[in-house]
This record gives sequence, C-alpha cells and structure tokens, in this order.
Amino acid sequence: MLNSRAHVVLDTLLPPHAHPSLPQGLFDAGFENFYQNFARTANGTLRNGFHFALFIAIWISPLLIRRIPPITLYSRETRERALAAMEVSRFYFLRQMMLILKNVAALCYGANREVRDAIGYPRQHDGLRDTQNERRSL
Amino acid sequence: MIFDGEKEQRAVAEAFDYVIVGSGAAGATVARTLADSGASIAVVEEGPAVDTIEFDDHIFPTMQRIFRGGGLGALNARGHAFIPIFQGSCLGGTTVVNSAIIWRIPDDVWESWRSEYGLGQALPLPELHKNWDQIERDLYVEPTPPAVWGENNRLLDVAKTNLSVSAFPTRRNVRDCRGSARCSTGCPFGAKQSMLVSYLPYAVKRGATIFTSARVDRILMEGNQAKAVTGFFHTSTVKKDVAPFTLYARKAVIVAASAIQTPLLLARSGVRSPHLGSHFQGHPGCSLIGVFDQPVNLWSGATQGYESDEHRLDRRFKVEPLALPPELVFGAMPGVGQHWVENMAQAAHLAVWSAPIRAEAEGVVREGRFGTDVRYDLTRRDMLFLRQGLKFVADLFFAAGAREIIPNVHGLPERLKHPEDGRLLENGPDNPAAYSFALTHLFGTARMSVRSQDGVVGTDFCVHGARNFYVVDSSVFPTNLGVNPQHAIMGIAMLAARQIMAKNG
Repeated sequence: MLNSRAHVVLDTLLPPHAHPSLPQGLFDAGFENFYQNFARTANGTLRNGFHFALFIAIWISPLLIRRIPPITLYSRETRERALAAMEVSRFYFLRQMMLILKNVAALCYGANREVRDAIGYPRQHDGLRDTQNERRSL
Repeated sequence: MIFDGEKEQRAVAEAFDYVIVGSGAAGATVARTLADSGASIAVVEEGPAVDTIEFDDHIFPTMQRIFRGGGLGALNARGHAFIPIFQGSCLGGTTVVNSAIIWRIPDDVWESWRSEYGLGQALPLPELHKNWDQIERDLYVEPTPPAVWGENNRLLDVAKTNLSVSAFPTRRNVRDCRGSARCSTGCPFGAKQSMLVSYLPYAVKRGATIFTSARVDRILMEGNQAKAVTGFFHTSTVKKDVAPFTLYARKAVIVAASAIQTPLLLARSGVRSPHLGSHFQGHPGCSLIGVFDQPVNLWSGATQGYESDEHRLDRRFKVEPLALPPELVFGAMPGVGQHWVENMAQAAHLAVWSAPIRAEAEGVVREGRFGTDVRYDLTRRDMLFLRQGLKFVADLFFAAGAREIIPNVHGLPERLKHPEDGRLLENGPDNPAAYSFALTHLFGTARMSVRSQDGVVGTDFCVHGARNFYVVDSSVFPTNLGVNPQHAIMGIAMLAARQIMAKNG
C-alpha cells in the first residue's frame, strides 16, 4: 500500500481535471490496483527506484524551491512547482528520479481504457483474432 | 517438442548431438540449419514459452513477460549517463520484440572486418549473400508497402521529398502486416516473422527439442572439450529455481545467448581472456517528438516502416520513425501536474523519430555484485554525431510540416518552434546525461579473431583453445554495424552452423 504522502505526490504528478479531454487523474485510472501488481512483479531495480523516487519527491523536492519538507505541507500549486523543479534540476540523479516516477505513472495511465479512448488510441483487434488461423507460433 | 520448464518442474538429464543456448536470431537460425541434417538438437531458452495469442497491448504486463528483467530498469549501461538496454527474453529472443528491420552487412563494414581484423576468409561475403537470399525468402522480406506506413512513416517520406535526402521504405520480415504498430511488444497477429513463428517451428517439426524457462548456469567442460549444459528451470513470475537440468552434447555446445549473456556464461564456464566481456558496442540513440497540426496517430502503421541513411557513412547515424504505445509516449512527454496532462492530451498529433548512432565507444560487460554490470560511456565524437543526428531529425520534422519539436534535452527549451532552432540541438550539451538514450543492438563481447591473443573466438567460431564449444551470436562481431543487426546475425549464424555441421559430420 502507498502511504498518504506518496499518494499526495502521485496525485500532484498526474492530477484529475487537468485538461478537458483527459479529466482522469492517476488514481481515477486505477493506480491503486496497478501498484499492487507492480509491487509484486516489477524487477527490484525499478520497484526500489520508484520507492526511492517517491522519497526524494517528498523530502528533497521542496528544498529545490526553498521550502522545508515534506512536500505534503503545501498547496497543489507549490507541490507542482517542487516536482517541476525536480524534473529540470541540474542534478542528473534528481532528473532520473522524476523520470522513474513519470514512467511508472505512465505505465498505468496509458493503459487505462478511458484515457486511451480520450486520445484516440483505437480499441485493438485482439478479441477478433481467429485463434485457429492466426496462431502461427509454437 | 517443447519442454516448458515452468510447467513441468522436474529434473532433466538427456543427451543430444547439439545443444544450443539461446533461441533468438542466432540460436534459432543454427537450430533451423542443423535440423536439416537429421541431428538431434536441443535449444535452451531462459525466457518463457510464449504464443502470439498472449501478446497484449498493455506495456507493463507484456514487458514483464517477454523482456529481460521486465524491461524498464532491468539493465542499464552505466557511465556518465544511465542508458537503458532492452532485450527480449522469451522463446524467439529479441526477434519477438524488435521492429523486424532487415539489413545485410553494409559493404563498408564488411571491408573493415576484412582489412582491419583479417576476417575476410572466415566470413566470405558471397556465402553470406547466399544465406541472406535464403533467409529473405524464408521470412518474406520486402519493403514496407505504403498501405501500412501510417502517418508517422509517411511524414518521413514527405520530408525526404522536400529535402531531397536518401530515405526509403524499410525492408522488414513480415507477412500480411496490418500496421498495428505493435512490433515492440510482440506481434499479436503473428505477422512479424520472428523466430517464434518461423525457424523455431521449422526446427521442432524436424525433431528439435526446445527447453524454455531454462536458465543456463554453465557449460561443463572435460579438459578443453565442452560436454554439457547445466542450469535450472525457473518460474518467470517469481524467478524461483524449480528443478535442475543437464543436457549432454555429443557433438557440440553452441552459445547464442546475446552480447550481454554470452560473455557472462563463458566466464562462468571457465573461459579466460582479456577480451571476454570487453569491446562491448551498440547503437545508442535518442528520439525527438514532432508536433503536427494534423493527427499522426502514432499507433497506426508499421512500428518502423521508413528510414533515412543519408548520413550513415559520413556521420554514423540513421533516422527511423518509431511508433510507441500510449504508456511510453506519455512517459516521454515533458512536464508535471497540469502541464504534463496538457502535453499528454496532444498525443494523437505527435510523431516520434529517432537517431541511433554507430557509436565508437567500447564498454565492458561483467558479473557485478548486484547482477550484470555494463560500463559504457560515449566518446566526444559519438556525442558530436548524436547532436548532428538530432539536428538532422529536426530538419526533417520541419520539412515534413511539424509545428513544434519536443527535444527532451536538458538545458534546451521544452519546445523548438522554428527551423533555425535545430542549431540548438547541434550546439547542444556535450554531456550524455542531458539526453534520454536507449541502447539497442549489442556486439563484440566475445569477438572473433585470427590469433587467440586478439579475441575470444577463432575464425571457425570455436572458443580459442577449446573443442566443440562454439559462439555464433553478435558477441563475435568485431565491431558494431550502423544498421539493424538481425539479418547480419542470422546470416553469420547460418554460416557457422554449416561449418560446424561439416566439421562434426
């Protein structure tokens, strides 16, 4: 389970109602369920990297905008500024941490059916495959 | 037959004429060639047995199933930047997740192998061309037809016309491609002629046995002779060893486990050479995102169906469109919070083109304390060519009508809005850490050499000083290619298989 601070960071990273065509936030897109699977099956580097990146976002990113951590003390606007500063930080390590956060969030968000519909990603034809004719592999 | 170690979960000790480690481009080609001789063959694959019907259009579960270590974050080349390395790990290897791009070894590359490394006789070009002819027939290779280009590829054709540069439809090993843009997560329609649907079934029909979910620990040697392959069957989800196996080789052990895994396996098996794991080369590349007024629909059309080789020779890079699923497009968009979502909402209007370079850098692959350790740092010249490559991609994008370009380069503006802005890329940062790289196409970690002191493998593909112990994958290549390597790997593996067959009867 994600703790409440991690929840705040991820909700700030990908908030609901941020754009008319993409009203879903990360948690509307099912991140809680995604995370359960992720925590169980992702490789150790990615899983630990994600948790560490959350830690950095909570405790370090506010320092980049001269605020005292944790990030949860502040308004959404300030939190966004802290995370944005992390994304463009001159420290490669901090940029990499943000990259991990965004990539993991995107793995969930981009897989959501409603999000895909919103950007025009077509429903795939997998269900229509003729398994007898097209099952060409072993 | 297929012995699925994940399901069977029982110990195996059997003997075969040939035991092949790896079922990707090299291993499957060797299996297919040896199968014609009537010899008994075992193919050992670390990844799971998969079926086209399993290939899902959701990236995370698919990567977990068919990429090494689950893909993202599993393996990075470490230097001034972390560069992710993507490898398939399933029956069929990386051929299941590549974009089916077919290139013969360019003449200039082969000539350097002949003149600088003395491999002209070991790798005779006429014989390689015969092999490539056969492979192209077997795998239905043809240029990507306009009907499945999709807009991402078509726009490069527009840029080609407007700038008068060399570019053309990519030759691919596909059959009845529908342009679903899903090559990189396994073609769900079986259209891509990966080894999974081509040479492996061919070998199985002729009696080959394939062991999947079978991780090879070492090659057992008796004196200098390879005698057997030993390891454990494991479960793919929790990576737990479930039963041991030992496969004895009456004639030869043939290693085709990739330029990352092969040197590690050889080292665990007692092979000693200063060249083992060294000379690691690849094709690192970066992508730019073009924003167009009209919909591009990145997810429609061949994953990579068009390419430009305008600067392959003089600046060591190619340009390739690259279709990405929503998960990866979103991950590449800049911004956080509302800004990120606003960028994501443009997804249908984005095109992605990459510039992989033929890097001169050489790295090292070793077994580290925490797993595979790949050290790799780009040279200043590599960075120069990369920046020139990105500038060229920007020129192409603007020539194709792009409104803006998202460079994803630290220190540059988030969006480039004018054709002159391409200069920012050319004069961009020299530090690899400013860029978002990916590393594909891996070579050189058990290189072939005439003299034993110059490499790991002899010109007969046998490990120097050993008997019946062969390496046939891209580890033996003395350099990288500057083009997609599947066809080169297969042509050379076919050559090796015929030599091994002739030698062992």
